[in-house]
Amino acid sequence: MEKHLSIVNQLAQLDELAMAIEGISEEWELPMSLSMNLNLVLEELVTNIIFYGYEDTSEHQIDIRLEKNDHLIMMQIEDDAKEFNPLLMAEPNIENSIEDRKIGGLGIFFVRKIMEEVTYKRDGNKNILTMTKSIE
Amino acid sequence: MEVTDVKKGEFLVINISGRLDTSNYGELEKKLIGFIESGDKKIAVDCSGLNYISSSGLRVLLMALKKITAAGGKFHLCCLQDNIREIFEIAGFTSIFRVFNTLDEAIA
Repeated sequence: MEKHLSIVNQLAQLDELAMAIEGISEEWELPMSLSMNLNLVLEELVTNIIFYGYEDTSEHQIDIRLEKNDHLIMMQIEDDAKEFNPLLMAEPNIENSIEDRKIGGLGIFFVRKIMEEVTYKRDGNKNILTMTKSIE
Repeated sequence: MEVTDVKKGEFLVINISGRLDTSNYGELEKKLIGFIESGDKKIAVDCSGLNYISSSGLRVLLMALKKITAAGGKFHLCCLQDNIREIFEIAGFTSIFRVFNTLDEAIA
């Protein structure tokens, strides 16, 4: 089974994205927790792309592909933002005290903790991030 | 997201329900800063109706925790749904926030 979602680089699209994931999760009968986690991973990545990815003010398309087989969900995000490999980001120190805790990098950290396999490819002017997660 | 507040004993109880994400965290941030600046130093956040949180939402809660702790107050959370608790655990937030199972414990 495969689904394709196309959005533009505006934060208002996050609501639509959430609704689309909800709909797909229902159709594919995914557990609630998995559905929420997929939504979270997408929100964190798309927010990053929208906030930091573009140096112009034009509209850009972000393509999201989801695939499901018996055991696995595959999710792929393709964008034409500047080159960004989330796998190269330093992990936040989550053991710091209240005063020293910083929130930066937490979104990408979630992606890496929640998804099981994450691969990044730069292809021409595209970032292609492919992730998988087992269906429990 | 819906945010309501009610005074219970010494605590201001803030009830957050629905989704707390990049599109609405600013709304909660404004409210929390308003309460803290008007002198509320004991705040308990009831999360029983909260069913989604992203790093933007966590950022707001951390900001409030830091401000209230610096002012010598208390910022408690209670009643996290399992999905939310999982996100808190991944973020390491369960070790810096005081998280209670019931509202009664949070405002005791």
